[in-house]
Amino acid sequence: MRWVDFKDSVKRFWSEYKHQTSGMVGLALLIILVVLAFAAPVLTSPNIPKEWQPGGHAWITNPKNAPPSWENYFSSVKKAPQKVFKLGDMQVKHQVNGSQNVYTITFNYDMRYNVPPKDIAIMGISSNASTPKDNPKVSIMVQRPKEKGVKYENILLLQDSPFPNGGSIQLSYTPQVKTLLFYWLYENGVFHLLMPLQPQLPLNIRLLQLNQQLQMNNTLYGYFQSADPMKILFGQITDGKGHLLPLRRIIYNTTGLMGNYKFTLLISAPKGVSVNLNNLEVVMVGRTYGLLGTDQYGRPIAIGLLWGIRIAMAIGLSVAISTVLIGILYGVTSAYVGGWVDEFLQRFNEFMMTLPVLPMLILLSLYFGGKISLAQLVGILVLFGWMGTAKVARSMALQIKEQTYIEAARSLGAGTGRIVFKHIVPQLLPYAFANIALSVPGAILSEAGLSFLGLTNPNMISWGRMLNDAHANGATINGYWWQVIPPGLAIATVGLIFVLIGVSLDTVLNPRLKRA
Amino acid sequence: MAMGFGKYVAYRIVNAVIILFLAVLLMSALFTKLATIQYTAQVDSDVQMWVQSYFKAHHRAPTQEQILSYKAQLMHQYGLDKSYWGRTWMYTVDTLLFRWGNSIPPVFGTHSVVKQIEGALARTILLFTTAQVIIILIGLALGVKSAQIPGSLLDRTISILAMLTTSLPMWWLGMLMILLFVVYLGWLPITLYSQVAVSGWVNILKKMSLPVLTIVTVSFGGWSWIIRNIMIGTMQEDFIMVARAKGVPERKVIYGHALKAAAPPIVTMIIFAMLGSMNGAIITEIVFNWPGMGRLYWEALGLNAVRTMMALNYMFAFLFVFSMVLADILYGYLDPRVRVGAAARS
Repeated sequence: MRWVDFKDSVKRFWSEYKHQTSGMVGLALLIILVVLAFAAPVLTSPNIPKEWQPGGHAWITNPKNAPPSWENYFSSVKKAPQKVFKLGDMQVKHQVNGSQNVYTITFNYDMRYNVPPKDIAIMGISSNASTPKDNPKVSIMVQRPKEKGVKYENILLLQDSPFPNGGSIQLSYTPQVKTLLFYWLYENGVFHLLMPLQPQLPLNIRLLQLNQQLQMNNTLYGYFQSADPMKILFGQITDGKGHLLPLRRIIYNTTGLMGNYKFTLLISAPKGVSVNLNNLEVVMVGRTYGLLGTDQYGRPIAIGLLWGIRIAMAIGLSVAISTVLIGILYGVTSAYVGGWVDEFLQRFNEFMMTLPVLPMLILLSLYFGGKISLAQLVGILVLFGWMGTAKVARSMALQIKEQTYIEAARSLGAGTGRIVFKHIVPQLLPYAFANIALSVPGAILSEAGLSFLGLTNPNMISWGRMLNDAHANGATINGYWWQVIPPGLAIATVGLIFVLIGVSLDTVLNPRLKRA
Repeated sequence: MAMGFGKYVAYRIVNAVIILFLAVLLMSALFTKLATIQYTAQVDSDVQMWVQSYFKAHHRAPTQEQILSYKAQLMHQYGLDKSYWGRTWMYTVDTLLFRWGNSIPPVFGTHSVVKQIEGALARTILLFTTAQVIIILIGLALGVKSAQIPGSLLDRTISILAMLTTSLPMWWLGMLMILLFVVYLGWLPITLYSQVAVSGWVNILKKMSLPVLTIVTVSFGGWSWIIRNIMIGTMQEDFIMVARAKGVPERKVIYGHALKAAAPPIVTMIIFAMLGSMNGAIITEIVFNWPGMGRLYWEALGLNAVRTMMALNYMFAFLFVFSMVLADILYGYLDPRVRVGAAARS
């Protein structure tokens, strides 16, 4: 075929394909997908594939099993979303206090939710301290919004907590925070102690006494044990008319106190130690997270969905193209050569069809150690995927073989290779193109199935893998719909895109079908 | 050269038996390899356990000879003392002749592979074959209906539905069904799908409801569409025009003439679908906790019950080959052109 002819036929094909509405919709969606697949590292971060494994460090501050943030729009109970304060969002003041360098960091958190954040995490303070006692120390103070009837609006949340390099502080899981919050409740008169704390004693001693008395009183200690520090910190402690709520209500049944919370972080370190705050982050760990929530490891579903496009496309296209090409060559050879070779090839085809696909796939993946890589997966799927195409290609080639122009070519002295590749295969190309597009969904479904069974590499970001995690997490039974619906919908959508394109290609390239 | 119908059938059957034999041979070669790895590990850990318990009982370690003789005894028990090909051959023959024996770990509460498969097959037929029958009935009704007026609303809906459902993972739809009907609407109790066993016919029927709904939803669009295509192809044939020209009522044209002519491919599809439905579906059965053939395979895999897996794979292959032969024969019976064509080609 000459270049001009090729250009001409492409042009003719395009002018017909243009009028296929569903085909054009499919093509547009395909282009969007391809763009998204390539843009994934830019839209998120290029390190995602490395960090994706369960329990990866990148997801430590993310809430687990959190629903999407937009669920708030459909619910009367507003849950706090994830919010990250970086150094740029905070004011930093540096002063020298005796032998200490003190950094005062302030920022405001606007709390507008009935259910406050789950946790507050502080990360990214690094220093060149050589001994543990030189590590920077962190104190946190919070000024709550005004609430009628509350004596003290300022809470000391954390006092001089050492911060090692690469460490993090999660306030909900720090025992000191809870004690300090109960101290604040006590000072406001929410509950009373048998032996009142003596104001003239140092704070440490008072806290020690508070702890002892809490542990001696079963009721109080029960409240202390089951308290969620964040619900106290961000919760109402009065009824709004200036009367304090009983402790029971505050612990079990309080609602968020909306308004502006002013946070002050004091970071102090000995003079000789230099502190680097460039990576400082304060994370308000959400009860909801981002566009599509998180899984049980805190990994955002939206990121998995985006990166999953790559695996789906890679597997779908490579498997579809390989199986169809192999199938066509196999079928055409079988038909053209004929005789015993044809008989043998057909019996081999039937033999391959007899092997049950999924059980054999599972068995073969066990041979690869139960954790098949992408390339092995493609190989296996191709091995069990070419038979149907080969059968159709053979019967089409049998018809073409009888055409007079083949006879003419043969009488002109054309060899088998020339006739097969120059005269028969080109006739089958339209069928091949349509069939490639129509084979993609099957390949993606097979991958998803194997991944769902947990037989593929767990660090591969694939939609089947995400559904496997969801199933392991009991997402259906627990009603974590955001872990179940999006990956499956993605699989179905990509499949549908290729079906739309395939059917349109079929209509344009195989004119015989147009009548129907 | 003409070949009689009987000869044609005999040829297909011999062909099928050879293919089945080769498939089983390949599978037992693979499974024997798997079994060797797993049993060797099993023997090693058994020997260690034995040495430890011996030490506890006698307060001294067993001698080297004792260990070796115990190991040899275990190797014999697991069949590891025979050569690889010897065991492959033994597996092949045993499997082909339905001498499935006992699996080493119990699966589905029994060691007998035949009993395991009997139970699983019955439950798979109850679920998947029932669903398949519903699919075929809906598919026939909708397919024929939409072939009558190509391009009608029904016709277009079916085409779209077929496209939508071909790329839908059945097991994922199953998860959605559980999410919707069990978790959100609460129409069915959660224990129905979080546990495998249910007792009583009412509960079994309840448990079947969601999987059947899932399977039918995924497949009926595609079936209707294929039947529509076959019917449209037939309706364009000359004999339909002749029948219409003769004044045969449209009902009779469709159900008497067209459907009869379209029967061979449809019957083939039905055979493959009905026998294929006995394979179950591994992932869907896992999602719904349905103890059928697919789940049996999956559990056998987890427990290293090699004989169970082998027998199941044989069943899958057997059902396929059987449907191939049955379809060939019925096709030849229903459509004499094929019979003659096949005979002429051979």
